[in-house]
Formats: sequence, C-alpha cells, structure tokens
Amino acid sequence: MKFFIDDLPVLFPYPRIYPEQYAYMCDLKKTLDAGGHCVLEMPSGTGKTVSLLSLIVAYQMHYPEHRKLIYCSRTMSEIEKALAELKALMKFRTQQLGYTEDFRALGLTSRKNLCLHPSVKREKSGTIVDARCRSLTAGFVKEKKERGEDVELCVYHENLDLLEPHNLVPPGVFTLDGLLKYGEDHKQCPYFSARRMMPFCNVIIYSYHYLLDPKIAERVSREFSKDCIVVFDEAHNIDNVCIESLSIDITENSLRKATRGANNLERKINEMKSSDAEKLQSEYSKLVEGLREAEQAREEDQFISNPVLPDDLLKEAVPGNIRRAEHFISFLKRFIEYLKTRMKVTHTISETPPSFLTHVKDLTYIERKPLRFCAERLTSLVRTLELINIEDYQPLQEVATFATLVSTYDKGFLLILEPFESEAATVPNPVLHFTCLDAAIAIKPVFERFSSVIITSGTLSPLEMYPKMLGFTTVMQESYSMTLARRSFLPMVVTRGSDQAQISSSFQIRNDPGVVRNYGNIVLEFSRITPDGIVVFFPSYLYMESIISMWQGMGILDSIWNYKLILVETPDAQESSLALETYRTACCNGRGAILMCVARGKVSEGIDFDHHYGRAVICIGVPFQYTESRILKARLEFLRENYRIRENDFLSFDAMRHAAQCLGRVLRGKDDYGVMVLADKRFQKKRTQLPKWISQAMLESETNLSTDMAVATAKNFLRGMAQPFKAKDQDGISTWSLADLERHREKQMLEEERARRQALANGHGANGVANGAAAAADEFDDDIDDDLMMLDAQ
Amino acid sequence: MPPSRESMQNRGDEDEVCPVCKSSRYLNPDMQFLINPECYHKMCESCVDRIFSSGPANCPVATCHKTLRKNRFRKQTFEDINVEREVDIRRRVMQILNRREEEFDSKRAWDDFLEQREEIIANLVHGTDVAKTEADLQKYAQENMRSIRANQALEAQEASSFQARQTQEQELARLRREAVRQEYENERRELLAGREDVLSRLAAGRPGDAATIAREGQKVLLKKSSARRSEEDRIRQKQAALRNSDARKAGQSGTTAADKAGDAGDTGLIKGLKRIKTPEPEKPYDPFGGMVPDKRDYYTLQDFYPSSYLDPIRQDTRMQAGGYDLREYYSRTLLEAFAGLGCFIDEEVSEREAANTDTAATEGAAIAAASTSPAGSA
Repeated sequence: MKFFIDDLPVLFPYPRIYPEQYAYMCDLKKTLDAGGHCVLEMPSGTGKTVSLLSLIVAYQMHYPEHRKLIYCSRTMSEIEKALAELKALMKFRTQQLGYTEDFRALGLTSRKNLCLHPSVKREKSGTIVDARCRSLTAGFVKEKKERGEDVELCVYHENLDLLEPHNLVPPGVFTLDGLLKYGEDHKQCPYFSARRMMPFCNVIIYSYHYLLDPKIAERVSREFSKDCIVVFDEAHNIDNVCIESLSIDITENSLRKATRGANNLERKINEMKSSDAEKLQSEYSKLVEGLREAEQAREEDQFISNPVLPDDLLKEAVPGNIRRAEHFISFLKRFIEYLKTRMKVTHTISETPPSFLTHVKDLTYIERKPLRFCAERLTSLVRTLELINIEDYQPLQEVATFATLVSTYDKGFLLILEPFESEAATVPNPVLHFTCLDAAIAIKPVFERFSSVIITSGTLSPLEMYPKMLGFTTVMQESYSMTLARRSFLPMVVTRGSDQAQISSSFQIRNDPGVVRNYGNIVLEFSRITPDGIVVFFPSYLYMESIISMWQGMGILDSIWNYKLILVETPDAQESSLALETYRTACCNGRGAILMCVARGKVSEGIDFDHHYGRAVICIGVPFQYTESRILKARLEFLRENYRIRENDFLSFDAMRHAAQCLGRVLRGKDDYGVMVLADKRFQKKRTQLPKWISQAMLESETNLSTDMAVATAKNFLRGMAQPFKAKDQDGISTWSLADLERHREKQMLEEERARRQALANGHGANGVANGAAAAADEFDDDIDDDLMMLDAQ
Repeated sequence: MPPSRESMQNRGDEDEVCPVCKSSRYLNPDMQFLINPECYHKMCESCVDRIFSSGPANCPVATCHKTLRKNRFRKQTFEDINVEREVDIRRRVMQILNRREEEFDSKRAWDDFLEQREEIIANLVHGTDVAKTEADLQKYAQENMRSIRANQALEAQEASSFQARQTQEQELARLRREAVRQEYENERRELLAGREDVLSRLAAGRPGDAATIAREGQKVLLKKSSARRSEEDRIRQKQAALRNSDARKAGQSGTTAADKAGDAGDTGLIKGLKRIKTPEPEKPYDPFGGMVPDKRDYYTLQDFYPSSYLDPIRQDTRMQAGGYDLREYYSRTLLEAFAGLGCFIDEEVSEREAANTDTAATEGAAIAAASTSPAGSA
C-alpha cells in the first residue's frame, strides 16, 4: 500500500498495516527531520524491521540528501532476516513505481561466513580464517608476487582488482546468501566486495560490533558521513555490548603467549636487521617525524587494530623511548613481566588506572606516555615486519591494547585481579579483569559522529534509563502499545503457591522444599493445560540445576513427563541446539515439550518461540544478576556516583529487561497467542517496569494470583483462544487497510484542527495545566526491594 | 578459607631445584630463591646462609667468579632474570638522567633524549661500550648534581602528593558509600514505620475510615519519595559545583609545580635542553610609570617670578614669621599647571591593548606639549 506521512510518500510492502507501525513511522520521520537521537520501544512481533526499512528507504529516495542507512543488528540470522525483508521491500517498490531504483544494499559479516576460497573456508575457527585470508590477500604479499617470489594469492580477491572499484556488484539488494552466490558465479570475493562497496551503498546491514567495538569500527566504519542514519535494532542489551567491547581479561596463559609473541618479534627484528635494515630505518625515521602512516596502503590490510584514542594523541609523534623496534620490544617484555608479577598475588585487588600506573612506574620505570602509544606502535611494527601469521600475536596485541586503554582513561575503568576462580578454589588461576564501567565511552563516538541514531527494541523500559546510561539526549522517546482485536496474550503474576505460601527465588528461601515444590507445581499444572510447547526460564544455571534435581527427588519431573517431553539448555552451544531441535520436533508432532532454560542464556536472547513452539512462558524467579561479583559491584558504584542511578534501581531494571525479553519470546505476531507467567512475589511490585505493551495487557486482578487461580485463568484464556479467529476480525482494529488509514488521518487532522482552535480560544491559559499534569505523572519504583540485599561494595 | 591458600604464596613447580644445593621444592616446600645483583645467579635461602654467613665469598656457580656479599642478596621481583637485571640498570640510569619534559626546548628534543637514555640502558644491558657509557654517565652526574637533586626532589614531591590525593579520594568514596547506605537504611526504616503507623491507625479507627487512612498513608509515601528526589537533585547540583571548583584548583596547583629553577643549559651528554633564563628580579612598584616627579621636564623653577599680588607677601614679615615660603608656592602651582601634560589616556589604553604601539607618537606629543609650556608658565 502507498500512503503519505506529511509530504513523504511511503510504500509499504503489505496490503495492511498495524496502527502501531504507522505511529512508529510517524515518530521516526519526525526524528529524522529534527536530526537527533531517539529511543523507540515497539512490541515484539509487530513488524518493527519492515516499518523501519520502508520508512527510511522512502526517506532516502524522496529527499535529495540520500542519507545512508546503517542498520545494526545482533546476530547473523537477524541480519539475514533484515536483508530478506529489504529485498522484498525493494521488489515491491519496483512493482509499484514501474522502474528499478538505483539502490544498493549489502550485509557485512565475518570472513568466515563469506569466504569462498576452497581451502580457507573449510577452517572452523574464525580467527584462523581471518589469518589465512590475510596471508593470501595482504598488499605486501601481492608485492612479493610481483617481484616474482613464489607466494600464494587468493584468486577471488585478485579478481576484484580487475573490476571497476565502485561497481564491484550491481545495484540491488544482496542477502548474505545472495552475495555468496554472486561471488561464486563471478569468482570474486564476497567479503571484500562488501567491504569495498560500503561507501557506495544506500543501506548497510551489519552487526553492532562493526560500529561499537572501537577496534573494528576504526577500520570498517570510518568513511561514513555525518548524516548517516544509524539504527541499533534489538538494542536492549546495548550497554553490555559497549562495555564488553572495551573490557579485557588477561590470564597467566595469555601472558605466557604474549611473552612468546614478544620473543618471536625480537627474532624477526634481528632477522630483518641483517637482511633488510632499510625498512626498519625508514619506519624509524617516519616515527621520528611523527608521520602517521600516510600511505597506509589499503585500509583492509591493517592487521591489528587500535582502541579508541583521543584525537590529540593521534597527531602526536610516538615517544622517543619506544621509537626503535628493539627498545619497544624490551619495553613490551618489561610490561608483560610486570603483569606476571601482579598475577602472583593471592588476594583480590581492585584498583583504579592511576594507581596501577604509579605502581608500574615504581617497579619498571614505564611511564604513561609510551604506554598510551603501545597499541599503535605494535601495529606499525607488525606492518613493517610484514608478519603473516598474525594469530600468534593475538595475546600480545591484547596486552598492548590493555596498556593503551589503561593509560588513556582515568575514569570509568577498574582493574580487578581475582586470583581464584571461586571462593572455595585452592589452585590459583588468576585473572586480571580490566573492566569498563561506563557504557558511554564506547558509544560516544557514534553519537558524536552521526546526527541520527535510533535505538529500538521490543523491550526498552524504562526508556529514560538508556539515555542516562549511554550519555546522550533524545528528541523522541516513545513506547508503543499493542493494538489487539482480541486479548491474545495473558500476562500474569503468580505470587503464591496453591498452599498460599509465598514463592520467590530470593536467596533466603530459594531452596526451601516448599518453594521448590510450589514452583514444580506451577510447571506441572501448566504442562497439563497448555498445548504444545512451554518455555521455562530460571535466573541462573546454578539454580536451574539445583531446582531440577530437587524436582527429580520430589517426583515432579515424573509427573510432568506424562504430559511433556523435558529438555534442558546447557552452557554448551552444541548441546543446546540439539535440545532445541528435539523441542521443535516434539512441538510439531503433538507430543509437546518443556524447555528449561536460563534467562540470560542463548535461548532467551535470539530464539523465537512463535505459535505452537511456545504457548506458555514461565519465568521462575526474578532474573537478577549475581550480585556478589566484584565487577558488577564496581559498575553499580560507578553508576551511582556518576549517573546517580541507585544500585537497586539498576539491578531491578536489568532483571526486568531480561524478564521482559523472556516473555517476549513467546509472542511473535498478532495472530500468535500465549500465556506469560511471572512466578515470584517480587514481580508484583516490579510490574510497572515491564514494557508498556505487556503491563497494559496485565489486569489488576491478575497481578497477585495463586497457582490454582492462575491455572484457572489460563485455562479460560486458552479455551477462548481455541475459537476460530479470522483475519477479517482484526480489520480496522489491529490491522488497517488504506481506507482505515485515511480515516485515521482525517480524524487526526480534525482533532488537530479542533485542538488548535481551542488553543486559540483559550489563549495561553491551557499551558500551565498541561505542565502540571505532566509533572504529576511518572511514578517509578519507589518501593524499596526488601529482598534485594544491600550491596556492601568496598 | 583453606590453609593451603596461604602456602600458595611461593607456589611454583613441584620439581623446582636449587641450582646450588640441588634440594627441590618437593622436599622443602618453603624454599625461597634469592639473587644477587652482581651476577644474578639464583640460589636458595639456605645456600645463601651457608655460603655467605662468614663474610664475602665467590659465587658458587662454576663459571662465575664474582665475589658476593650476603647483604646484597634479595628476592627476585620478575620471573625473567634478564628483565630483572635490566630494571636494576634502568633504575640506576634513571636516577641520573632524570630530566623532565618541561626542561626541553621542543617535543622532538625530549623524544631524542628519551631515545638516548634508552640507548644507554640498552648498551649497559647488552654489554656494548660499557666503559665509555659508564664514564659518560659519571661525568654527567658530577656536572649536573644540582639539577639531578632538584628533579629527584620534585619527583618525590609529586609522588607524595599523588599518594595524598589518592588516599583522600578513597576516603571520600568511602564517605559517599556510607552516606548512601545510611540513606537507604533511613528510607527503609521510614517505610516500615509508615506502614506500622497506618496499620495501628487502621486498628484503632472505625471501619468507615479505612479507605481514608490508607489513602493518607499512600500520600505520605509519595510526598516522601518526591522530597527525596528533590533532595537528590540538590545534592547532584552541589556535587557538580564542587567538582568544578576542584578541577579549577587542580589546574592552578599544576602550574605552580611546573616552574622550577635549574642550572646550566646544554650539557655535554644531553642535547636540546632549554636555556634556563633566570628571571629578572622584579622592580619596585613605580606609580609614575618611569617618570621622576622631581625632574622638571617642562619648566625650571626660578627663585623669583614677578607678580603684583605676590610681591607684598615677600616683604610681609607677618606671613614669613609662620614659615611661609614663596618658593614652595611656586613649585606647587607650577607642578599643578604642568601635571598631566605628558599623559594621554586614550593612547595609554590603546597601548595596553596592543602592546607594540608606536612609542614615537607619545614622544612627539610630549615634545609638542613641551613647546607649549612657556605659554603655560607665562
């Protein structure tokens, strides 16, 4: 269908549109016009991706600026899905417009997924594929070849040079599979085609990391102009992605490898000194002049990447004491040895970067300045030495990155040394965590560089938390509710068992046999009444294991077995995928199954349980993080001191977003239905923190149920759902045809007109009232969570 | 915690063997290794006691003939003995070549110095040109005793101030944590008290009041939470203000630390040092800006000026009896008449703004003023 938003003609590839999709597009348009960032929460399964794409493509095509879209998603499958959606959209546009637009869209993923080289693509690990690919494609390898040396080159990559550099692939939308196929047909490398074509694309779809991880972003995403539209989809976890991208863990093993790497480098330098001293000399003189490799042959050749550095530093020359290669190696060795001595401590230490730096200086006379240049100097050295087997130097690079980060940032980072893996362990296995506490550091360049950043997901509540944590301001912040022709999902809070005893996964009572039995009863009762699949989420693997073994002892599992097949998620990815496979089969053939999984595990994030794959989701306990972890404690303290986010607020926010994510797994569309059970008495107070579309659908009467009441309600609900439901019933309510849309717009216009007239009549009197009303609203979790332990962070 | 954790202090291989007495860690779990910075040969503690207790002796390692003393033995800091040795050498060199970045003309010179120092250390470590390098170092140390001392003192001072700041920050963080905990406790107590209060009132009151009491309780809670929020806002603002002022203070103290007196400029070893300019001693404040008040530029004071009004006074003994002196009068009136003739306020202002204004112009004006002076004196 085709309709207008203001003056913008939007082509929507379906004959009907959901009201919330329309609202979403309107708000998106406003944001793009205003040129700012926004946070939008749209219920899962309401076609967020397609509305986003169709609006932005329309925007690109209609306005002369042709702002590029950078669409970031989380997983490969989501990227592929978005590309397929975009392809269908463009096909529809061609049909409607009657001509093919000049439009290019590509997805980018790792070399491993896009490689065509017959032997390289058979490698299993991504790093090995990367390394082998580099050894076949690097610029200096080619130079060697031209000099007549006998080196192997990748024919797929070589073919690219024969093509026009700005027209490696024809216009159109390529899914990842499509790109692979095109590459195979034309014998050209899909990975490098995508990389080199990025500046000429209208839409680029790739993973978060290409933009957020400063080490990669520098190389991949540097050339985008300021007016690009950046979209982070499924962004509810974006703060954790930011933090992970800047955190480094160093173990004794990695230090050993780093030493080996340093020794190798030293040997290479000596070799080069005897064979090709000129090269080292020229590198040296370049460093003396403070030139930053102006002739960096091709960006993609750069092997080792640098973490974020402030701009002023980039312009400076490398300090004199690490200018010479041999001095730099001895410098690295000293630093690694220092880290080794730190590893020998037997008690936990947490210290700030400044105090770490003073200690380094006291012991090894390494100053801050050269440390800051460590990563960059290593990159330059590696390039000069023309090393091929880069993966050997991975640990060394990690140490260098660590050195650079620790000396660059005083605030927002913490070093935590944990000598033992767990409380009870006696064999030391020290890990030096260099943790980033401030999510804003990694994402700041993105917000500074691009004028419109859109953060969107199915579960972002409370919305104001994200701008606070990530340090940006929004022009639009909106949460959409779900319009439904019938009540198609049933969220309930179960606070008591059938025996009226309260249930909770809080530490004090989580292992009480009574509580465990009550939880077991909930699962049992629901497995009895629910058709097909049920998904059960636990707060942690540990708790899941203990509770399942207790159920086994109580004979609960045996009773469940009568109704459903029982499958369990494990930390092992292979096992879990097997379990998931079996689960799907059991759901399809009518046996029905229960999948027990963890609220922070893989299943809770990326896997959809649409239709019969999930008719009920049970969330056992509030999925709080493990609060005794030092890293979490440090982060909480940082949040409190810098952003004034209270510990309990953050913990509860974090738990609720995971709970909401779990609940959302089961409802993937408007014709889907499912029961959502939150089984913990603490959910009763926290339900305001659920996304708007869930909390709105929750009736007051269903927020404090006992097991038997919940089962009765669910039974009723499922019976209602079993009635035939035609697509026609939704018309005009939860799906709009073009006519409905027109009606809505007319109504809106009339309303606006009336409001304007009223405002004119009332003069300015109305303003004060509106403001007062806004101030009175907003009441967010003032209850203190009694069960949350006060954290005695020290 | 199991006791074994403590013994992990000197963990290592079970079959680590002392190269001198060949006793292994398996037999002696508390074995500790010591080294001597003379030759860096490692041996266990008991060997050190055994061999060196009765005075200096040769190193027991077969090829090494260094004479060692017991008091120089110490524990090894780094696992790699080469690094250990390098750091020792580095320590010595750094103590001598302790120039600071602000002492150099340019960044380039400073970088060159850093590289040179690195070169010297590398020479000493790898044993190339040791004699010459040592000699250079010694010479430099003797020549620049003063600046070395000064820089050392400065460094020590920086370290101690850093330490002080660090402890202060920790203390502040602790206080903040304490405050937050307190706040949390208070809130919780209030909440409980409020709840109790509502309950007791419900118990005491008539059934009809129940709804109103409940509503009131709710309202009190809301009020408290909004009060807390405004309080938080206030605290935040205060903290922001405090932080700003802290930053300003830090900036100020930073500048004072930087200026420091040194001595000689280029020394034989190090190039590119800043020429040290001893700042000229500040002159006493001069209100006339270089003009001498007693100097008469525009006129010369004469003993006698003819005037029909003044002449009688000269004769009048009554006036002179009080000590009245006409010359005083002349001098004052003339000074007043010419005062300010050389001042051009506009020009002075513009001169202050653009410091390089043409001085000739003011001179010219002064001359012009001087040429008019006879008319003034007449």
